[in-house]
Amino acid sequence: MDEPLIAQGSSFQEQCSQCSAVDWGVTEEGGYFCRSCHNVIERTLEVLDSYHSNYRVSRISRESKKNKKLEHGNDWMVCEGFQFILKHQAEALLEMGVCPQFKDDVLCNFWRRYLQKSNQAYTRNPVTVERFQLGSDTDGASESLSLSDFCPSASETDVESSAPSSISGFSSDGGASSVCSGSLDANSYHSTAERKRWNLMTMPMTLAFCHLSLLWLREALTLSDLLRFVAEGHIPYINAYQVFPEEMKLYGKDSQIFRVESIPSHRKVQQEAHKLAVFLDLPRFPPVTQEYMLHPALLSLKYLTEANLPDELHLWVCRVMEQAGVGEGTYLTYDPLGRKSCLLSYDILAAALIIVTMKLLFKMDDQKEWKLSKKTDTENKQNKDNGIFCLRKWYKTVQRALDLAKEKEVEEIARQSWKPRKPLYSSRKQKCVILKRRRVVEHLQTSFQKLTNSTPEPQQSPPCSFRFRWGEVDGDGPSYYNQHLGSVVMEKNGSLHLMNPKYWHTALKPCQPKQCRDHFREIEPTLPRSYIFLLQLFSFLLGVGESCIHAQVIQVERLLIRNAPRTPSAQKLQQKQKN
Amino acid sequence: MDDLGAEIGTCISEDDTSVDDEPRSKKRRLYVPLSAECFKRTPKETGFHRSARECLRKIREDLLQHRWQEAAEYMISYFQTLEDTTVTKQLLASEIIWRLGTEILHHHPNSNPEDFNSFLEQMKNIGVKSYLKVSLEHAFHLLLTGHFDEAKQQLSIAESWRYGRQSASQADKMKLIHAYRGFLDYFSWISKKNATSGDDDADVADHKEMHNYFRQASVNLQEILKQPGVWDPFVIGYVNMLEFYNDQDGALSILKEYAYDNSFPPNPNAHVFLYDFLKRHDAPEKKLIRVLEVLQALVPSHELMLELCSLLLKSDDEKHLEEATGVIFSLLDYSSWKQNLEAWTYLRNTVKILKKKKLMHLITKEWETRKDWWPAFHFRTHHAKIDLEESKELITLKAKTASLLSGHKCIYCRKKLELFKESNGHAKKVRNVVKRTASPIASQEVSRGHY
Repeated sequence: MDEPLIAQGSSFQEQCSQCSAVDWGVTEEGGYFCRSCHNVIERTLEVLDSYHSNYRVSRISRESKKNKKLEHGNDWMVCEGFQFILKHQAEALLEMGVCPQFKDDVLCNFWRRYLQKSNQAYTRNPVTVERFQLGSDTDGASESLSLSDFCPSASETDVESSAPSSISGFSSDGGASSVCSGSLDANSYHSTAERKRWNLMTMPMTLAFCHLSLLWLREALTLSDLLRFVAEGHIPYINAYQVFPEEMKLYGKDSQIFRVESIPSHRKVQQEAHKLAVFLDLPRFPPVTQEYMLHPALLSLKYLTEANLPDELHLWVCRVMEQAGVGEGTYLTYDPLGRKSCLLSYDILAAALIIVTMKLLFKMDDQKEWKLSKKTDTENKQNKDNGIFCLRKWYKTVQRALDLAKEKEVEEIARQSWKPRKPLYSSRKQKCVILKRRRVVEHLQTSFQKLTNSTPEPQQSPPCSFRFRWGEVDGDGPSYYNQHLGSVVMEKNGSLHLMNPKYWHTALKPCQPKQCRDHFREIEPTLPRSYIFLLQLFSFLLGVGESCIHAQVIQVERLLIRNAPRTPSAQKLQQKQKN
Repeated sequence: MDDLGAEIGTCISEDDTSVDDEPRSKKRRLYVPLSAECFKRTPKETGFHRSARECLRKIREDLLQHRWQEAAEYMISYFQTLEDTTVTKQLLASEIIWRLGTEILHHHPNSNPEDFNSFLEQMKNIGVKSYLKVSLEHAFHLLLTGHFDEAKQQLSIAESWRYGRQSASQADKMKLIHAYRGFLDYFSWISKKNATSGDDDADVADHKEMHNYFRQASVNLQEILKQPGVWDPFVIGYVNMLEFYNDQDGALSILKEYAYDNSFPPNPNAHVFLYDFLKRHDAPEKKLIRVLEVLQALVPSHELMLELCSLLLKSDDEKHLEEATGVIFSLLDYSSWKQNLEAWTYLRNTVKILKKKKLMHLITKEWETRKDWWPAFHFRTHHAKIDLEESKELITLKAKTASLLSGHKCIYCRKKLELFKESNGHAKKVRNVVKRTASPIASQEVSRGHY
């Protein structure tokens, strides 16, 4: 921390750049000026005198800080920015009715744990300072001096207080905010090694935090719901940095950390969440039991409603669930540190259970289900009450609604606005160019809005966990919830049996799980269309790829066959499957 | 057999040269700016780009179906692509927005000229890389809506535009701007000319002003004509002015340069202009023939080929007669001339002249290369039917030619006889019916039946 330019005492012994004299005076603002040629230099008294005149330092630094604030804003760390975003995301979720413990007890604890594990706070030697020194601009050597002075205070700052000055307290010198970023430690976020070593925050990780916290509380909000609310803008994510207070200036390298140009996929958040849980060393999560919405028994009921399938089917879904052993606490509970642990996708699991049940009942091989529908039609005609579920009718209703909904979704994607009102710029030089572009875009938008007589922003619909509305006046079509399964099941010896004796599965072939991940694209053309339709339906409902659901279906089928108990009825079922 | 082989050989080599004449048009791939390619999803697409892609697809659909309102609504969302973080995408976006936006504003019922002007001003400044292009199109649009003076002003502004290196990289566009500026001066010149020619005691000032326009226009037009390119309207304007001021030689040299300079792309119109000019100034037939021969090599189906044929037939030279035969035959190779009475008359006249001069072997020579496809192309029974519908003269002429070329028993001739017999019989019947009934209703029916 040597400062070669500083001589002991108040005199500053550097030669003047204009007249080469060494005769310095101090202005009222604390700046140096050359007494011989009246050249004012940028160096201020503040740092130089910090050794012997505490009173003056505090006074002058306050003043200089005020000046800097106008230009740079306060100093802040990147993790503070993420803290802000997490806070707003949590508040949005609370507003949606997530249980009140979510924010202060769970998410907040996870976040503290994260800060500690990544050595950013709650530690004796916060790594951030070291990192910051490595990455900081060297044009003002004085910064490092002041930083080392403030080091110890960093560990004591209360990270949870939402004031922006919390962590930044350890750097009072305004010059620290280098030209290339608004935050202090953006540099380290740009080196891959650093990022990996400390598991530094990214925007998708904010969603991973929310997801893990929701999971801990066993909230009814699945990941697919969470991502949909993010896409619909109910949870701040796109341009979430706009909630930062005025003093937290964001530019340069920060822009690449906080800029969002897409919403992460289901799989990506799932991976991030698992990685995070392992990094945080989280204990076994509270068990997911029958009474929680995340349990497949309840979740599948939700998806049956969403897919307009009869409630009677739920009984069969539960039977499949039991036989496959996926309803048990040991299977469902997430343990980040357990052997072979992975984060379950409860939503995809429930969808797969429904699909397997549909395959058991109707076979879904493009032939059997239509034959069964024909039979149902004649039965319905005889009874004259349409009380029996007809797959053909269901298909026609749902397909129409699905096509319309998909079309509407594409329209919404086309209209989605991604760019912020306050644009990010990566260097000061670009600032005016980018701000001008923003103005032009806004002007063009208003002129075209005038042309089309349209309102600037359409009213946002309130968040809803259902995508279709069946059996309502303005809904998507008639509902089939109360219909019976009819002759698809039969009663024998006091218990229900399936009429359809056969079951199909995809061709078995050797595969190396590490090398080939996904065979769905290859086999897709060979699969029955009605099965593909089911995949498409649930892929739309969950917002995940068809291949993900297909993979989960295969997984459930495997478990179903492996775990089936050796009771006579089950053996019969198994035999039927084998046929 | 030797002769035949030689003939085929020459024929092939001729074909080859004709291909060589226009290699560009044949080899150049068709460029469709909005092919389906850009609507495909790329594996690592961001959500923002997906939105942009879908939005563009929607706008395109709406534009193709003339739903201007919907297209304008999607445009509002599409403007954000201007803020793309990659420079190439930004440039592309500004071009797309400029083109689609002008199209929408041009057709949207609510748009007014002020909107249009302010939109284009913004487009010029957002993409300085295409400033001059936008300016030029702006001027075109103003001309389209009848704002001549504003268009001229727009071009003047563009002429004086400077923007560091940007203006240097758009030098070729600047030339175009100058050229169109000159062209608009030419229009001013014409209107001045028309105004002054009416009254004899026109002001000296008027004449001076007109001359001023001429000077301005000629400086700019001269400049652009030095650049290789297709400058038809500029050439016409410039030559028109030169002719007015009796600078025949200057005009001729301009036209010759335009037609014969090899650095220019092959342009049939250049030869047409030259021919028209020479004809206007009573140039000798030899010169005219030479010009038309070049045109024939470029466009064998050009309508001036009939004139070339008549010019060639006028002279007694055997070579010219041979050429005339070639010209008229190759003209009739094109389907647009299939039913042209004049063309078939020329062929008939050529045959007559050749017969007189005992040069029928020339006909045979031309026929040799066509005998395997002309009968199917010209002389089928259904041709006879439609030819008769066209005119009786045509079918007679064609039948005569057909009988000469492929014998009088060819199907075309037989069909013609059949049709004539039919129509004669029909006419007789009609006459009888008319005689018998002599009532207007009956004749109406008959005529309908005949039709």
